[in-house]
Amino acid sequence: MNTAIERDIRPVSNSAWKRISAKYLTKKTIVSYIILLAFVIIYLGPLLMLINTSLKTQSSFMRDATALATTINVKNFVDAWNKASFPKYLTNSVIYTVAATTIYIVMAVFVAFPISRKYIKGAKYFLTLFLIALFLPPALIPQFQLMLKLGLYNNPVGYVMLFLANPIGVIILVNYIKTVPIELDEAAALDGCGYFQFVTRIVFPLIRPAIATVAILHAIGIWNELILPTIYLTNQKYYPITRGLIVFQGVYGSNWPTLAAAVLIMAIPMVVFYLFLQRYIMSGLTQGSLKG
Amino acid sequence: MIYHFGRGRARWIPYLLLIPGLFFYILIALGPSLATSVYSFTDANGIANVPVNWIGLDNYKEFLTLGQAARDNYDALGRTLIFCIGVTVFQFGLGLLVAMLLNQRLAGTNFFRIVFFLPVILGVVIQGLIWTLFLYPLGGPVDKVLGALGTHSELLGSQPSEAFVWVIIVQIWANLGITMVIFLAGLQTIPDELVEAARIDGASPWQVFSKITWPLLTPSVNTNLLLNIIGSLQSYQLFLVLIGYRNGTQVLGYMVYAQGFGQTSGGNSNAFRQGYAAATSIILFFVVLIIGLTAQYFLRRREERILG
Repeated sequence: MNTAIERDIRPVSNSAWKRISAKYLTKKTIVSYIILLAFVIIYLGPLLMLINTSLKTQSSFMRDATALATTINVKNFVDAWNKASFPKYLTNSVIYTVAATTIYIVMAVFVAFPISRKYIKGAKYFLTLFLIALFLPPALIPQFQLMLKLGLYNNPVGYVMLFLANPIGVIILVNYIKTVPIELDEAAALDGCGYFQFVTRIVFPLIRPAIATVAILHAIGIWNELILPTIYLTNQKYYPITRGLIVFQGVYGSNWPTLAAAVLIMAIPMVVFYLFLQRYIMSGLTQGSLKG
Repeated sequence: MIYHFGRGRARWIPYLLLIPGLFFYILIALGPSLATSVYSFTDANGIANVPVNWIGLDNYKEFLTLGQAARDNYDALGRTLIFCIGVTVFQFGLGLLVAMLLNQRLAGTNFFRIVFFLPVILGVVIQGLIWTLFLYPLGGPVDKVLGALGTHSELLGSQPSEAFVWVIIVQIWANLGITMVIFLAGLQTIPDELVEAARIDGASPWQVFSKITWPLLTPSVNTNLLLNIIGSLQSYQLFLVLIGYRNGTQVLGYMVYAQGFGQTSGGNSNAFRQGYAAATSIILFFVVLIIGLTAQYFLRRREERILG
Protein backbone atom coordinates (compact mmCIF):
# COMPACT_ATOMS: atom_id res chain seq x y z
CA MET A 1 0.00 0.00 0.00
CA ASN A 2 2.76 2.38 0.90
CA THR A 3 4.61 1.87 -2.34
CA ALA A 4 1.40 2.47 -4.23
CA ILE A 5 0.92 5.78 -2.50
CA GLU A 6 4.52 6.83 -2.88
CA ARG A 7 4.29 6.40 -6.63
CA ASP A 8 2.42 9.67 -6.89
CA ILE A 9 5.21 11.70 -5.38
CA ARG A 10 7.85 10.11 -7.57
CA PRO A 11 9.28 12.78 -9.88
CA VAL A 12 8.02 12.55 -13.41
CA SER A 13 10.74 11.17 -15.62
CA ASN A 14 11.58 13.06 -18.77
CA SER A 15 11.38 10.03 -21.02
CA ALA A 16 7.79 9.41 -19.97
CA TRP A 17 6.84 12.83 -21.27
CA LYS A 18 8.58 12.30 -24.56
CA ARG A 19 7.02 8.91 -25.16
CA ILE A 20 3.55 10.27 -25.65
CA SER A 21 2.88 12.94 -28.23
CA ALA A 22 2.98 16.40 -26.73
CA LYS A 23 -0.33 17.55 -28.22
CA TYR A 24 -2.33 14.60 -26.90
CA LEU A 25 -0.89 15.04 -23.44
CA THR A 26 -1.66 18.72 -23.21
CA LYS A 27 -5.28 18.37 -24.24
CA LYS A 28 -5.79 15.44 -21.92
CA THR A 29 -4.08 17.24 -19.05
CA ILE A 30 -6.25 20.31 -19.45
CA VAL A 31 -9.47 18.30 -19.50
CA SER A 32 -8.29 16.34 -16.47
CA TYR A 33 -7.58 19.49 -14.51
CA ILE A 34 -10.94 21.02 -15.42
CA ILE A 35 -12.79 17.97 -14.12
CA LEU A 36 -10.63 17.76 -11.00
CA LEU A 37 -11.12 21.43 -10.23
CA ALA A 38 -14.89 21.02 -10.55
CA PHE A 39 -14.64 18.30 -7.93
CA VAL A 40 -12.44 20.48 -5.73
CA ILE A 41 -15.12 23.18 -5.80
CA ILE A 42 -17.76 20.69 -4.65
CA TYR A 43 -15.41 19.37 -1.96
CA LEU A 44 -13.94 22.58 -0.63
CA GLY A 45 -16.94 24.84 -1.33
CA PRO A 46 -18.96 23.65 1.67
CA LEU A 47 -15.88 23.98 3.88
CA LEU A 48 -15.12 27.50 2.69
CA MET A 49 -18.75 28.44 3.26
CA LEU A 50 -18.41 27.12 6.81
CA ILE A 51 -15.23 29.12 7.48
CA ASN A 52 -16.67 32.27 5.94
CA THR A 53 -19.88 31.98 7.96
CA SER A 54 -17.99 31.41 11.19
CA LEU A 55 -16.29 34.79 10.74
CA LYS A 56 -19.47 36.80 10.16
CA THR A 57 -22.00 38.37 12.47
CA GLN A 58 -25.53 37.06 12.58
CA SER A 59 -26.90 40.25 11.01
CA SER A 60 -24.50 40.17 8.08
CA PHE A 61 -25.30 36.48 7.57
CA MET A 62 -29.01 37.28 7.48
CA ARG A 63 -28.41 40.11 5.02
CA ASP A 64 -26.38 38.05 2.59
CA ALA A 65 -25.39 34.50 3.51
CA THR A 66 -22.65 34.13 0.91
CA ALA A 67 -21.01 37.58 1.08
CA LEU A 68 -17.40 37.42 2.15
CA ALA A 69 -16.68 38.19 5.78
CA THR A 70 -15.23 41.68 5.97
CA THR A 71 -14.03 41.43 9.54
CA ILE A 72 -12.66 38.55 11.50
CA ASN A 73 -15.26 38.01 14.13
CA VAL A 74 -13.61 35.88 16.84
CA LYS A 75 -16.64 36.32 19.07
CA ASN A 76 -18.43 33.41 17.40
CA PHE A 77 -15.68 31.04 18.49
CA VAL A 78 -15.69 32.37 22.05
CA ASP A 79 -19.48 32.07 22.16
CA ALA A 80 -19.50 28.57 20.74
CA TRP A 81 -16.75 27.46 23.09
CA ASN A 82 -18.55 28.78 26.16
CA LYS A 83 -22.17 28.07 25.30
CA ALA A 84 -21.64 24.61 23.88
CA SER A 85 -19.80 23.24 26.94
CA PHE A 86 -17.11 22.18 24.49
CA PRO A 87 -14.40 21.62 27.11
CA LYS A 88 -16.61 19.00 28.79
CA TYR A 89 -17.70 17.29 25.57
CA LEU A 90 -14.17 17.26 24.21
CA THR A 91 -12.83 15.75 27.43
CA ASN A 92 -15.52 13.06 27.29
CA SER A 93 -14.74 12.26 23.65
CA VAL A 94 -11.02 12.02 24.40
CA ILE A 95 -11.61 9.75 27.40
CA TYR A 96 -13.96 7.41 25.52
CA THR A 97 -11.72 7.26 22.47
CA VAL A 98 -8.43 6.72 24.30
CA ALA A 99 -9.82 4.26 26.85
CA ALA A 100 -11.72 2.11 24.37
CA THR A 101 -8.95 2.13 21.76
CA THR A 102 -6.23 1.19 24.25
CA ILE A 103 -8.17 -1.64 25.84
CA TYR A 104 -9.34 -2.88 22.47
CA ILE A 105 -5.85 -2.93 20.95
CA VAL A 106 -4.34 -4.90 23.83
CA MET A 107 -7.15 -7.47 23.73
CA ALA A 108 -7.07 -7.65 19.94
CA VAL A 109 -3.34 -8.41 19.80
CA PHE A 110 -3.80 -11.26 22.29
CA VAL A 111 -6.58 -12.56 20.07
CA ALA A 112 -4.77 -12.06 16.77
CA PHE A 113 -1.35 -13.43 17.76
CA PRO A 114 -2.31 -17.03 18.71
CA ILE A 115 -4.74 -17.19 15.76
CA SER A 116 -2.09 -16.04 13.32
CA ARG A 117 0.50 -18.45 14.79
CA LYS A 118 -2.01 -21.29 15.19
CA TYR A 119 -0.95 -21.59 18.83
CA ILE A 120 -4.51 -22.48 19.74
CA LYS A 121 -6.53 -25.42 18.51
CA GLY A 122 -8.96 -24.58 15.71
CA ALA A 123 -7.33 -21.22 15.00
CA LYS A 124 -9.13 -21.09 11.65
CA TYR A 125 -12.51 -21.44 13.31
CA PHE A 126 -11.64 -18.72 15.78
CA LEU A 127 -10.93 -16.37 12.90
CA THR A 128 -14.25 -17.24 11.26
CA LEU A 129 -15.97 -16.68 14.60
CA PHE A 130 -14.47 -13.19 14.75
CA LEU A 131 -15.53 -12.48 11.18
CA ILE A 132 -19.06 -13.73 11.26
CA ALA A 133 -20.58 -10.75 13.09
CA LEU A 134 -19.80 -8.61 10.04
CA PHE A 135 -22.36 -10.57 8.06
CA LEU A 136 -25.11 -10.87 10.66
CA PRO A 137 -27.96 -8.47 11.48
CA PRO A 138 -27.03 -5.32 13.42
CA ALA A 139 -26.68 -5.88 17.16
CA LEU A 140 -28.49 -2.63 18.02
CA ILE A 141 -31.68 -3.79 19.79
CA PRO A 142 -30.48 -6.79 21.87
CA GLN A 143 -27.34 -4.84 22.76
CA PHE A 144 -29.53 -2.15 24.25
CA GLN A 145 -31.60 -4.71 26.19
CA LEU A 146 -28.37 -6.21 27.51
CA MET A 147 -26.92 -2.90 28.65
CA LEU A 148 -30.21 -2.05 30.32
CA LYS A 149 -30.17 -5.36 32.23
CA LEU A 150 -26.56 -4.91 33.23
CA GLY A 151 -27.38 -1.46 34.58
CA LEU A 152 -24.89 0.08 32.15
CA TYR A 153 -27.40 2.32 30.39
CA ASN A 154 -26.41 5.99 30.63
CA ASN A 155 -23.09 4.93 32.10
CA PRO A 156 -19.71 5.96 30.69
CA VAL A 157 -18.16 2.57 31.50
CA GLY A 158 -20.95 0.83 29.62
CA TYR A 159 -20.50 3.24 26.74
CA VAL A 160 -16.78 2.45 26.46
CA MET A 161 -17.61 -1.27 26.56
CA LEU A 162 -19.60 -0.89 23.34
CA PHE A 163 -16.36 -0.20 21.47
CA LEU A 164 -14.37 -3.22 22.65
CA ALA A 165 -15.22 -5.36 19.63
CA ASN A 166 -14.03 -4.69 16.08
CA PRO A 167 -13.58 -7.71 13.79
CA ILE A 168 -11.82 -5.80 11.00
CA GLY A 169 -9.02 -4.76 13.35
CA VAL A 170 -8.42 -8.39 14.33
CA ILE A 171 -8.16 -9.40 10.67
CA ILE A 172 -5.62 -6.67 9.89
CA LEU A 173 -3.53 -7.74 12.90
CA VAL A 174 -3.72 -11.46 12.05
CA ASN A 175 -2.45 -10.73 8.54
CA TYR A 176 0.33 -8.47 9.70
CA ILE A 177 1.59 -10.84 12.40
CA LYS A 178 2.22 -13.40 9.64
CA THR A 179 5.10 -11.17 8.47
CA VAL A 180 6.88 -11.53 11.83
CA PRO A 181 9.33 -14.47 11.44
CA ILE A 182 8.41 -17.50 13.52
CA GLU A 183 12.09 -18.10 14.32
CA LEU A 184 11.80 -15.21 16.75
CA ASP A 185 9.33 -17.24 18.83
CA GLU A 186 11.72 -20.18 18.99
CA ALA A 187 14.74 -18.05 19.86
CA ALA A 188 12.88 -16.11 22.54
CA ALA A 189 11.49 -19.31 24.06
CA LEU A 190 14.97 -20.87 24.14
CA ASP A 191 16.17 -17.82 26.03
CA GLY A 192 13.49 -18.48 28.60
CA CYS A 193 11.08 -15.74 27.54
CA GLY A 194 7.47 -16.48 28.48
CA TYR A 195 4.44 -16.13 26.21
CA PHE A 196 3.03 -13.00 27.81
CA GLN A 197 6.44 -11.34 27.91
CA PHE A 198 7.11 -12.28 24.28
CA VAL A 199 3.87 -10.76 23.04
CA THR A 200 4.17 -7.56 25.07
CA ARG A 201 7.92 -6.93 24.72
CA ILE A 202 8.66 -8.29 21.23
CA VAL A 203 5.48 -8.68 19.15
CA PHE A 204 3.94 -5.33 20.09
CA PRO A 205 6.94 -3.24 18.93
CA LEU A 206 7.37 -5.33 15.77
CA ILE A 207 3.78 -4.90 14.60
CA ARG A 208 3.64 -1.19 15.41
CA PRO A 209 2.55 -0.15 11.87
CA ALA A 210 -0.46 -2.47 11.97
CA ILE A 211 -1.30 -1.37 15.51
CA ALA A 212 -1.14 2.27 14.40
CA THR A 213 -3.48 1.56 11.48
CA VAL A 214 -6.00 -0.35 13.57
CA ALA A 215 -5.84 2.15 16.44
CA ILE A 216 -6.41 5.11 14.10
CA LEU A 217 -9.35 3.43 12.37
CA HIS A 218 -10.92 2.40 15.65
CA ALA A 219 -10.37 5.83 17.21
CA ILE A 220 -11.91 7.69 14.24
CA GLY A 221 -14.95 5.43 14.45
CA ILE A 222 -15.45 6.14 18.16
CA TRP A 223 -14.78 9.86 17.82
CA ASN A 224 -17.34 10.29 15.03
CA GLU A 225 -19.99 7.97 16.47
CA LEU A 226 -23.42 9.58 16.68
CA ILE A 227 -25.98 6.79 17.01
CA LEU A 228 -24.59 5.05 20.11
CA PRO A 229 -24.24 8.16 22.29
CA THR A 230 -27.74 9.16 21.21
CA ILE A 231 -29.08 5.80 22.33
CA TYR A 232 -27.03 5.17 25.45
CA LEU A 233 -26.14 8.51 27.03
CA THR A 234 -29.00 10.62 28.30
CA ASN A 235 -27.12 12.69 30.85
CA GLN A 236 -25.60 15.78 29.26
CA LYS A 237 -22.47 15.52 31.39
CA TYR A 238 -21.56 12.26 29.60
CA TYR A 239 -22.08 13.54 26.04
CA PRO A 240 -19.24 13.19 23.57
CA ILE A 241 -18.60 16.00 21.12
CA THR A 242 -20.81 14.58 18.33
CA ARG A 243 -23.91 14.44 20.49
CA GLY A 244 -23.01 17.78 22.04
CA LEU A 245 -22.84 19.38 18.62
CA ILE A 246 -26.26 18.03 17.64
CA VAL A 247 -27.72 19.38 20.88
CA PHE A 248 -26.02 22.70 20.21
CA GLN A 249 -27.57 22.75 16.74
CA GLY A 250 -30.98 22.18 18.34
CA VAL A 251 -30.54 25.29 20.49
CA TYR A 252 -28.54 27.60 18.21
CA GLY A 253 -29.61 26.20 14.85
CA SER A 254 -30.83 29.56 13.61
CA ASN A 255 -27.61 31.33 14.58
CA TRP A 256 -25.43 30.00 11.81
CA PRO A 257 -22.27 32.03 12.52
CA THR A 258 -21.99 30.60 16.06
CA LEU A 259 -22.99 27.11 14.91
CA ALA A 260 -20.44 27.26 12.09
CA ALA A 261 -17.76 28.25 14.61
CA ALA A 262 -18.76 25.27 16.77
CA VAL A 263 -18.54 22.91 13.79
CA LEU A 264 -15.12 24.32 12.92
CA ILE A 265 -13.85 23.87 16.47
CA MET A 266 -14.73 20.21 16.15
CA ALA A 267 -13.47 19.83 12.59
CA ILE A 268 -10.06 21.50 12.89
CA PRO A 269 -8.42 18.92 15.18
CA MET A 270 -9.68 16.17 12.86
CA VAL A 271 -8.27 17.92 9.78
CA VAL A 272 -4.86 18.44 11.41
CA PHE A 273 -4.80 14.84 12.62
CA TYR A 274 -5.76 13.70 9.12
CA LEU A 275 -3.10 15.77 7.35
CA PHE A 276 -0.40 14.21 9.53
CA LEU A 277 -1.64 10.62 9.33
CA GLN A 278 -3.42 10.52 5.97
CA ARG A 279 -1.29 7.69 4.61
CA TYR A 280 -2.04 5.43 7.54
CA ILE A 281 -5.70 6.33 7.41
CA MET A 282 -6.19 5.76 3.69
CA SER A 283 -4.20 2.54 3.57
CA GLY A 284 -5.92 1.33 6.73
CA LEU A 285 -9.39 1.97 5.37
CA THR A 286 -8.59 0.20 2.11
CA GLN A 287 -7.02 -2.76 3.90
CA GLY A 288 -9.97 -3.00 6.20
CA SER A 289 -12.47 -2.92 3.40
CA LEU A 290 -10.56 -5.17 1.02
CA LYS A 291 -10.10 -7.87 3.57
CA GLY A 292 -13.29 -7.38 5.49
CA MET B 1 2.19 -25.07 14.69
CA ILE B 2 4.55 -26.12 17.47
CA TYR B 3 4.10 -24.14 20.64
CA HIS B 4 7.45 -23.00 22.00
CA PHE B 5 6.53 -21.39 25.27
CA GLY B 6 6.43 -24.35 27.64
CA ARG B 7 4.20 -27.37 28.24
CA GLY B 8 1.62 -28.57 30.66
CA ARG B 9 -0.06 -25.73 32.43
CA ALA B 10 1.89 -23.14 30.42
CA ARG B 11 0.16 -24.44 27.27
CA TRP B 12 -3.05 -22.77 28.47
CA ILE B 13 -1.63 -19.24 28.65
CA PRO B 14 -2.52 -18.25 25.03
CA TYR B 15 -6.10 -19.39 25.62
CA LEU B 16 -6.36 -17.47 28.89
CA LEU B 17 -5.05 -14.28 27.32
CA LEU B 18 -7.43 -14.63 24.40
CA ILE B 19 -10.49 -14.81 26.66
CA PRO B 20 -11.01 -11.06 27.33
CA GLY B 21 -11.13 -10.22 23.61
CA LEU B 22 -13.39 -13.17 22.88
CA PHE B 23 -15.64 -12.35 25.83
CA PHE B 24 -16.31 -8.77 24.80
CA TYR B 25 -16.72 -9.71 21.15
CA ILE B 26 -19.41 -12.24 22.04
CA LEU B 27 -21.03 -9.99 24.64
CA ILE B 28 -21.15 -6.82 22.54
CA ALA B 29 -21.22 -7.94 18.93
CA LEU B 30 -21.89 -11.59 18.15
CA GLY B 31 -24.38 -12.42 20.92
CA PRO B 32 -26.65 -9.39 20.41
CA SER B 33 -26.41 -9.82 16.66
CA LEU B 34 -27.70 -13.39 16.88
CA ALA B 35 -30.30 -12.40 19.47
CA THR B 36 -31.87 -9.89 17.08
CA SER B 37 -33.95 -12.65 15.49
CA VAL B 38 -35.11 -13.84 18.94
CA TYR B 39 -36.19 -10.34 19.94
CA SER B 40 -38.10 -9.96 16.68
CA PHE B 41 -40.64 -12.49 18.03
CA THR B 42 -41.26 -10.52 21.23
CA ASP B 43 -42.91 -7.32 22.40
CA ALA B 44 -39.73 -6.00 24.06
CA ASN B 45 -40.04 -2.28 24.62
CA GLY B 46 -36.84 -0.97 26.13
CA ILE B 47 -38.04 -0.17 29.65
CA ALA B 48 -36.04 -1.79 32.44
CA ASN B 49 -37.80 -4.54 34.44
CA VAL B 50 -40.85 -4.84 32.19
CA PRO B 51 -41.40 -8.51 31.24
CA VAL B 52 -40.79 -9.41 27.61
CA ASN B 53 -43.47 -11.58 26.04
CA TRP B 54 -43.24 -14.00 23.18
CA ILE B 55 -45.68 -12.93 20.46
CA GLY B 56 -44.65 -15.19 17.60
CA LEU B 57 -44.88 -13.71 14.14
CA ASP B 58 -47.03 -10.71 15.13
CA ASN B 59 -44.31 -8.15 14.46
CA TYR B 60 -43.70 -9.53 10.99
CA LYS B 61 -47.43 -9.77 10.24
CA GLU B 62 -47.87 -6.18 11.33
CA PHE B 63 -44.88 -4.99 9.35
CA LEU B 64 -45.97 -6.71 6.15
CA THR B 65 -49.78 -6.55 6.24
CA LEU B 66 -51.20 -3.94 8.60
CA GLY B 67 -52.92 -1.27 6.51
CA GLN B 68 -51.26 2.11 6.21
CA ALA B 69 -48.27 1.09 8.35
CA ALA B 70 -47.48 -1.73 5.95
CA ARG B 71 -47.83 0.59 2.97
CA ASP B 72 -45.38 2.98 4.63
CA ASN B 73 -43.03 0.07 5.20
CA TYR B 74 -43.14 -0.94 1.54
CA ASP B 75 -42.50 2.68 0.59
CA ALA B 76 -39.49 2.72 2.92
CA LEU B 77 -38.25 -0.50 1.36
CA GLY B 78 -38.62 1.06 -2.10
CA ARG B 79 -36.74 4.17 -0.98
CA THR B 80 -33.99 2.03 0.51
CA LEU B 81 -33.52 0.39 -2.88
CA ILE B 82 -33.61 3.73 -4.73
CA PHE B 83 -31.09 5.16 -2.27
CA CYS B 84 -28.89 2.11 -2.80
CA ILE B 85 -29.05 2.35 -6.61
CA GLY B 86 -28.54 6.13 -6.70
CA VAL B 87 -25.61 6.07 -4.31
CA THR B 88 -23.96 2.99 -5.81
CA VAL B 89 -24.19 4.10 -9.45
CA PHE B 90 -22.80 7.58 -8.88
CA GLN B 91 -20.32 6.80 -6.15
CA PHE B 92 -18.93 3.95 -8.21
CA GLY B 93 -18.83 5.88 -11.48
CA LEU B 94 -17.46 9.14 -10.10
CA GLY B 95 -15.02 7.27 -7.85
CA LEU B 96 -13.63 5.46 -10.87
CA LEU B 97 -13.43 8.69 -12.89
CA VAL B 98 -11.56 10.54 -10.15
CA ALA B 99 -9.23 7.60 -9.51
CA MET B 100 -8.36 7.37 -13.21
CA LEU B 101 -7.70 11.09 -13.40
CA LEU B 102 -5.44 10.89 -10.36
CA ASN B 103 -3.62 7.84 -11.66
CA GLN B 104 -2.04 9.99 -14.38
CA ARG B 105 1.24 11.77 -13.88
CA LEU B 106 -0.28 15.11 -13.05
CA ALA B 107 1.12 17.65 -10.66
CA GLY B 108 -0.90 17.94 -7.46
CA THR B 109 -2.48 14.48 -7.41
CA ASN B 110 -1.59 14.16 -3.75
CA PHE B 111 -3.50 17.36 -2.97
CA PHE B 112 -6.58 16.22 -4.86
CA ARG B 113 -6.58 12.86 -3.16
CA ILE B 114 -6.33 14.40 0.29
CA VAL B 115 -9.19 16.80 -0.48
CA PHE B 116 -11.54 14.14 -1.84
CA PHE B 117 -10.92 11.84 1.10
CA LEU B 118 -11.33 14.53 3.75
CA PRO B 119 -15.10 14.08 4.40
CA VAL B 120 -14.55 10.43 5.34
CA ILE B 121 -12.51 11.58 8.32
CA LEU B 122 -14.86 14.35 9.41
CA GLY B 123 -17.65 11.94 10.21
CA VAL B 124 -21.37 12.11 9.75
CA VAL B 125 -22.16 14.97 12.16
CA ILE B 126 -19.76 17.43 10.56
CA GLN B 127 -20.65 16.23 7.05
CA GLY B 128 -24.32 16.79 7.80
CA LEU B 129 -23.93 20.19 9.44
CA ILE B 130 -21.59 21.49 6.73
CA TRP B 131 -24.14 20.58 4.09
CA THR B 132 -27.06 21.93 6.07
CA LEU B 133 -25.27 25.26 5.87
CA PHE B 134 -24.23 24.84 2.23
CA LEU B 135 -27.86 24.08 1.38
CA TYR B 136 -29.16 27.06 3.40
CA PRO B 137 -32.32 27.91 1.48
CA LEU B 138 -32.31 31.68 2.11
CA GLY B 139 -29.40 32.79 -0.03
CA GLY B 140 -26.88 30.03 0.62
CA PRO B 141 -24.43 29.04 -2.14
CA VAL B 142 -26.58 26.34 -3.74
CA ASP B 143 -29.66 28.53 -3.48
CA LYS B 144 -27.77 31.35 -5.28
CA VAL B 145 -26.68 29.02 -8.06
CA LEU B 146 -30.26 27.82 -8.50
CA GLY B 147 -31.39 31.45 -8.45
CA ALA B 148 -28.95 32.31 -11.22
CA LEU B 149 -30.45 29.45 -13.21
CA GLY B 150 -33.87 31.03 -12.68
CA THR B 151 -35.27 28.49 -10.25
CA HIS B 152 -35.76 28.15 -6.51
CA SER B 153 -35.94 25.32 -4.04
CA GLU B 154 -36.31 24.86 -0.31
CA LEU B 155 -33.55 22.24 -0.68
CA LEU B 156 -33.53 20.09 2.48
CA GLY B 157 -36.85 21.61 3.53
CA SER B 158 -38.61 20.96 0.22
CA GLN B 159 -40.83 18.09 -0.91
CA PRO B 160 -39.75 14.72 0.57
CA SER B 161 -38.67 13.33 -2.79
CA GLU B 162 -36.38 16.32 -3.44
CA ALA B 163 -34.94 16.39 0.07
CA PHE B 164 -34.24 12.68 -0.42
CA VAL B 165 -32.19 13.43 -3.54
CA TRP B 166 -30.07 15.93 -1.58
CA VAL B 167 -29.31 13.27 1.02
CA ILE B 168 -28.16 10.96 -1.80
CA ILE B 169 -25.87 13.71 -3.07
CA VAL B 170 -24.35 14.35 0.37
CA GLN B 171 -23.95 10.60 0.94
CA ILE B 172 -21.95 10.33 -2.31
CA TRP B 173 -19.91 13.43 -1.43
CA ALA B 174 -19.13 11.95 1.97
CA ASN B 175 -17.99 8.51 0.84
CA LEU B 176 -16.56 9.02 -2.64
CA GLY B 177 -13.06 9.11 -1.09
CA ILE B 178 -13.23 5.46 0.01
CA THR B 179 -14.26 4.29 -3.47
CA MET B 180 -11.54 6.45 -5.00
CA VAL B 181 -8.78 5.10 -2.75
CA ILE B 182 -9.77 1.49 -3.43
CA PHE B 183 -9.78 2.13 -7.19
CA LEU B 184 -6.42 3.91 -6.97
CA ALA B 185 -4.93 0.91 -5.19
CA GLY B 186 -6.29 -1.30 -7.97
CA LEU B 187 -5.07 0.97 -10.76
CA GLN B 188 -1.59 1.01 -9.33
CA THR B 189 -1.30 -2.76 -9.73
CA ILE B 190 -1.70 -2.39 -13.52
CA PRO B 191 1.78 -2.22 -15.04
CA ASP B 192 2.53 0.98 -17.00
CA GLU B 193 4.35 -1.06 -19.62
CA LEU B 194 1.13 -2.83 -20.59
CA VAL B 195 -0.71 0.42 -21.23
CA GLU B 196 2.21 1.99 -23.07
CA ALA B 197 2.72 -1.08 -25.25
CA ALA B 198 -0.94 -0.99 -26.25
CA ARG B 199 -0.68 2.72 -27.08
CA ILE B 200 2.37 2.12 -29.24
CA ASP B 201 0.42 -0.61 -31.04
CA GLY B 202 -2.16 2.04 -31.88
CA ALA B 203 -4.88 1.32 -29.32
CA SER B 204 -7.26 4.21 -28.69
CA PRO B 205 -7.77 5.46 -25.12
CA TRP B 206 -11.17 3.74 -25.08
CA GLN B 207 -9.64 0.46 -26.21
CA VAL B 208 -6.96 0.74 -23.54
CA PHE B 209 -9.67 1.26 -20.94
CA SER B 210 -12.07 -1.45 -22.08
CA LYS B 211 -9.49 -4.09 -22.98
CA ILE B 212 -6.83 -3.51 -20.30
CA THR B 213 -7.77 -1.25 -17.42
CA TRP B 214 -11.36 -2.39 -16.82
CA PRO B 215 -10.70 -6.16 -16.85
CA LEU B 216 -7.58 -5.85 -14.71
CA LEU B 217 -9.48 -3.68 -12.26
CA THR B 218 -11.92 -6.52 -11.51
CA PRO B 219 -10.91 -7.07 -7.85
CA SER B 220 -11.41 -3.42 -6.90
CA VAL B 221 -14.59 -3.24 -9.01
CA ASN B 222 -16.00 -6.13 -6.98
CA THR B 223 -14.92 -4.69 -3.64
CA ASN B 224 -16.33 -1.27 -4.41
CA LEU B 225 -19.64 -2.55 -5.75
CA LEU B 226 -20.25 -4.78 -2.75
CA LEU B 227 -19.16 -2.12 -0.27
CA ASN B 228 -21.33 0.53 -1.91
CA ILE B 229 -24.39 -1.72 -2.18
CA ILE B 230 -24.24 -3.12 1.35
CA GLY B 231 -23.18 0.18 2.89
CA SER B 232 -25.93 2.24 1.27
CA LEU B 233 -28.65 -0.29 2.11
CA GLN B 234 -27.81 0.03 5.81
CA SER B 235 -26.89 3.69 5.97
CA TYR B 236 -29.23 6.24 7.53
CA GLN B 237 -27.08 8.52 9.71
CA LEU B 238 -27.03 11.36 7.19
CA PHE B 239 -30.85 11.33 7.04
CA LEU B 240 -30.80 11.81 10.80
CA VAL B 241 -28.50 14.82 10.70
CA LEU B 242 -29.78 16.43 7.48
CA ILE B 243 -33.57 16.10 7.60
CA GLY B 244 -34.55 14.07 10.66
CA TYR B 245 -37.36 11.53 10.65
CA ARG B 246 -39.60 12.97 7.98
CA ASN B 247 -42.53 11.20 6.37
CA GLY B 248 -41.78 10.27 2.82
CA THR B 249 -38.02 10.13 3.32
CA GLN B 250 -37.42 7.20 5.71
CA VAL B 251 -35.27 4.27 4.73
CA LEU B 252 -35.40 0.91 6.53
CA GLY B 253 -32.24 1.48 8.56
CA TYR B 254 -33.67 4.70 9.95
CA MET B 255 -36.96 2.95 10.75
CA VAL B 256 -35.16 0.40 12.90
CA TYR B 257 -33.55 3.20 14.86
CA ALA B 258 -36.71 5.31 15.11
CA GLN B 259 -38.95 2.39 16.12
CA GLY B 260 -36.46 1.15 18.66
CA PHE B 261 -35.32 4.37 20.23
CA GLY B 262 -37.80 7.13 19.45
CA GLN B 263 -38.04 9.48 16.56
CA THR B 264 -36.05 12.41 17.79
CA SER B 265 -32.39 12.48 18.63
CA GLY B 266 -33.05 14.34 21.89
CA GLY B 267 -35.83 12.30 23.49
CA ASN B 268 -34.81 10.49 26.65
CA SER B 269 -37.83 8.25 26.92
CA ASN B 270 -37.02 4.78 25.64
CA ALA B 271 -40.48 3.29 25.84
CA PHE B 272 -40.41 2.21 22.26
CA ARG B 273 -41.16 -0.87 20.27
CA GLN B 274 -37.91 -2.73 20.23
CA GLY B 275 -39.40 -6.11 19.29
CA TYR B 276 -40.97 -4.53 16.23
CA ALA B 277 -37.71 -2.72 15.45
CA ALA B 278 -35.85 -6.04 15.70
CA ALA B 279 -38.27 -7.52 13.14
CA THR B 280 -37.66 -4.55 10.83
CA SER B 281 -33.94 -5.05 11.27
CA ILE B 282 -34.23 -8.75 10.35
CA ILE B 283 -36.20 -7.81 7.22
CA LEU B 284 -33.50 -5.30 6.31
CA PHE B 285 -30.91 -7.99 6.97
CA PHE B 286 -32.59 -10.32 4.46
CA VAL B 287 -32.80 -7.52 1.89
CA VAL B 288 -29.05 -6.92 2.29
CA LEU B 289 -28.34 -10.65 2.24
CA ILE B 290 -30.34 -11.34 -0.93
CA ILE B 291 -29.00 -8.36 -2.85
CA GLY B 292 -25.46 -8.87 -1.55
CA LEU B 293 -25.37 -12.58 -2.42
CA THR B 294 -26.90 -11.98 -5.87
CA ALA B 295 -24.34 -9.28 -6.59
CA GLN B 296 -21.55 -11.49 -5.34
CA TYR B 297 -22.74 -14.38 -7.52
CA PHE B 298 -22.70 -12.29 -10.69
CA LEU B 299 -19.42 -10.61 -9.80
CA ARG B 300 -17.78 -14.01 -9.20
CA ARG B 301 -19.02 -15.33 -12.53
CA ARG B 302 -17.75 -12.25 -14.30
CA GLU B 303 -14.40 -12.55 -12.54
CA GLU B 304 -14.04 -16.18 -13.61
CA ARG B 305 -14.88 -15.27 -17.18
CA ILE B 306 -12.32 -12.47 -17.29
CA LEU B 307 -9.49 -13.68 -15.13
CA GLY B 308 -10.01 -17.41 -15.62
